[in-house]
Amino acid sequence: MSKPEFVYTTYIETTTEKLWHALMSGDFTERYWFGHRVASDWKPGSAYRFTKQGETTIEGNVLGIDPPKRLVYTWNPCSPETKGERVSRVTFDLEPRGKVIKLTVTHDNLDPAGVTLRNISGGWPMVLASLKSLLETGHALKLDPPTRADEENIHAQA
Amino acid sequence: MRKPEFIYVSYIETTPEKLWEALTDGDFTERYWFGVHLRSDWKIGSTFEMVRSNGTVSDAGKVVEYDPPRRLAYTFVNLSDEYKGELPALATFVIEPHGKLVKLTLTHEGFAEGSKFLLGISQGWPAILSALKSLLETGKPLDIPYTAMKSES
Repeated sequence: MSKPEFVYTTYIETTTEKLWHALMSGDFTERYWFGHRVASDWKPGSAYRFTKQGETTIEGNVLGIDPPKRLVYTWNPCSPETKGERVSRVTFDLEPRGKVIKLTVTHDNLDPAGVTLRNISGGWPMVLASLKSLLETGHALKLDPPTRADEENIHAQA
Repeated sequence: MRKPEFIYVSYIETTPEKLWEALTDGDFTERYWFGVHLRSDWKIGSTFEMVRSNGTVSDAGKVVEYDPPRRLAYTFVNLSDEYKGELPALATFVIEPHGKLVKLTLTHEGFAEGSKFLLGISQGWPAILSALKSLLETGKPLDIPYTAMKSES
């Protein structure tokens, strides 16, 4: 793993199939991922993109897919503030643990001082908390993407 | 080189008061913390203990901050031989209202370089805090096997 990396683990009462679907279905991501829809044919090497109100927000390519255990894709935020930063990588690992699923998200190959690192460090805990709530309670959390002030606060604490 | 520390953020649909109770009431912690009952009178400087269901103490330390329902901090070390000689690292819980939700930030810091206990708590906290979130949102904790934390990866 290349440093710096961001790793987040959560445990969700669901099935690997439901969680797998929730990560790759646009109708599903729209509900817990700040309103962003994901779309792809999910073949190795294929492109994928997140869109919101017709605008592409994140795009990349599928680096690896092993249903329903592991999904790896590149992560290229389509934003002027991250221009010139290296394209990072996201890995989702799904492991059954008794009656729950352990989900580990590893985001690596990040620019050490980049805006992407700052954004995703604030964003993943929100997205994954909302995903867990949606799968366990049937409704997602009402969360807006982290603001710059939130992110600076995270860095001040770190 | 990054500081040897562990940080975990979660968002929970609850109130700061309920989350505070869940973090400090031993009867409540038993339900989501692998059966661990937290025992303390929560005065600054008082003893803080994690009591297993069989009555033995697994971890012990001191209360450092108690500011309901905002900030809670305590040190602890694991009493088993496995973690002999570890520093009494500090776990700080910060509770902040976030719209209709509560943001919980746990920072566990003050470990020695290469601390084995840091690896242990890095496996433990996500399981404990996931079960806590489920209990507060659904009324029932998660049934996470204790061995689940021993990741093969």
